[in-house]
Amino acid sequence: MLPRALPIIAAATGELVDQSAGILNLGVEGIMLIGTIVGFFTDFYTGSLLLAFLFAGVAGTLLALLHAVASISLRADQVVSGTAIWFIGWGLSGVAYRALFGNYLVPPTIAALPHLQLPVLTSIPIIGPILFGQDPAAYFILLMIVLTHYFLFHTQTGLNLRTVGEDPRTAEEMGVNPIRYRYAATMFGGFMAGIGGAYLTIAVTGTFYYDLTAGLGFIAVALIYFGKWKPLRTLVGCLVYGAVYVLFLTIQTHFLMIPYQFFAMWPYLAIVVILAAVAAKSGGPASLAKPYEKGA
Amino acid sequence: MVETARVLALVGFVIVAVFASSLLFSLFGIPPLTGLVSLFKFGFGTPGAFASTVGGMVPLLIMAVGLSVPFTARVWNIGGQGQFVIGSIVSTWVGLEFAKSAPPGVVILLALVSSFLGGAMWLVPPILMRIYRGINEVITTLMMNFVSVFLLDWLITGPMEGRQAIALNEPSSAPLPGYLMFPSLVPGTNIGLGLVFALFLAVAFFFLMKYTRLGYELRLIGQGVGAARYAGVAVERDMLIASLISGGIAGVAGMVQIFGATGVLLPQVFSDITTSYGYVGIPVALIASLNPIGIILSAFFFSGILTGAYGMELAYDIPIDVVTAVYGMVMFLAPLGFHIRFSKRKLRV
Repeated sequence: MLPRALPIIAAATGELVDQSAGILNLGVEGIMLIGTIVGFFTDFYTGSLLLAFLFAGVAGTLLALLHAVASISLRADQVVSGTAIWFIGWGLSGVAYRALFGNYLVPPTIAALPHLQLPVLTSIPIIGPILFGQDPAAYFILLMIVLTHYFLFHTQTGLNLRTVGEDPRTAEEMGVNPIRYRYAATMFGGFMAGIGGAYLTIAVTGTFYYDLTAGLGFIAVALIYFGKWKPLRTLVGCLVYGAVYVLFLTIQTHFLMIPYQFFAMWPYLAIVVILAAVAAKSGGPASLAKPYEKGA
Repeated sequence: MVETARVLALVGFVIVAVFASSLLFSLFGIPPLTGLVSLFKFGFGTPGAFASTVGGMVPLLIMAVGLSVPFTARVWNIGGQGQFVIGSIVSTWVGLEFAKSAPPGVVILLALVSSFLGGAMWLVPPILMRIYRGINEVITTLMMNFVSVFLLDWLITGPMEGRQAIALNEPSSAPLPGYLMFPSLVPGTNIGLGLVFALFLAVAFFFLMKYTRLGYELRLIGQGVGAARYAGVAVERDMLIASLISGGIAGVAGMVQIFGATGVLLPQVFSDITTSYGYVGIPVALIASLNPIGIILSAFFFSGILTGAYGMELAYDIPIDVVTAVYGMVMFLAPLGFHIRFSKRKLRV
């Protein structure tokens, strides 16, 4: 359940900070795809997990920077710019795979991540492996979302950032530079989405195929709505999502007479139903997706 | 003046985007400029390529027109792909079911109407959620695309599975009888009734935007919901109507593709840009700033790039995904055109 949820958790963490500052980045899907290929390629050639995640994060940051320039400095429509980022990431990841691995007849794979093994603790039934048997990247991603909660709601900088998302004019009068905050938040969002994508290839699939994320980036955005822009509530949403996903995979193997397509389509339908049931009209940052013009 | 500057800026951006993406060719050992020249040669350079580019415009043009209606009001229907799939499912079913019992004209009309209704219906839940609960329609319409792809996959391997396989190892529905297919207007090409229909829709869109109250109100909403409401526009009703038109036209695009080109329901691969007309329609519409004549030109341009990329894949083994990246870069630069337009013209009520 956790491996399925972690890419979404990473992407949602970044996007949450992004949206809290008032920037909607629908390009997460494309940024995750770039993360999948960069992480996979780096791991395949260097064997260094640290470098793989780092490069994936940096690649994600660069792609997010494009979105930042368009939506913050040029005040373009964020939905349009985000969709463009998605296409760029989608196309580039496919092209990059063919350019880098095109001459392999069998898709190359990489070794699975090493998992933590603690004496006694890891061997506790059920909760042992969940709490003490994960890979290092998993702990990093979980730590990031908890830190994000602390940052947003318990630090002055976090408060400033949320003020920028609510009302950039007031923030500026308080001496906070909304443009700078929005750039930083968007780039952090790209970094985490890149990490999430890398986790998908490095820890979950071990290989790359076209359009690997299949909507995970958009699901991350949807789970932020579910989480009402609160990191811990969003985390719960991601975990439940991952759990139910695995549950359905298990059920599917017991009900072979039901066509598999019905199991495959449920996660997407579920997101629509969950949003209809849970999301409220208000709740998001008041200035989300609204460009800010200095002194206008 | 502003209008001219905007058009010039757009043309400049498109050139930059195409040049930037041609750098991708060098990854495969082909100099960017040579790659660019062959891309255009394979896309537009020979009579055969030109004909497939014109024929390939049809689904893109219909789709872009459909998407432009709500885009004008800044309602983002990203689910055109799903509505397209539903439209093709419904129209194929109608075609196969009534082929023997009704005259061809009636069957085609029935398929047209039902694909419109099917596509529109597919958009109803997300759009009601957007209008009445403020839930981002990009996410929900996109989720419905995935659902439609699996639905299609189930139908052509189950209830609608064809007796004779069209392509080896590929599931498909039974083929439509030949007399239901749109006739080709230029022998030996796929330029047919579909193109006439697509151009007709573009003209209808022009009239909708220019001469009707709905078109005027959608533009007002696009410039600012608050101001539009203040001016007495029924924002919710207009958004709903625009979306139903959009979903319906996307469904019709699916019908035209079945009756005008494939003649059979084929599997949809989500990540395959070459058949993802619902996705490609988005940049086609945006790069033209939702202008009807511009949409015709950009559909031609996008179709040409796609045809060209097919040629490049065959000739140089360059992945067709290059196209997706090109589309993304072109679309990325389109918002800048938007920016110039919307910041210079402030709405006065």
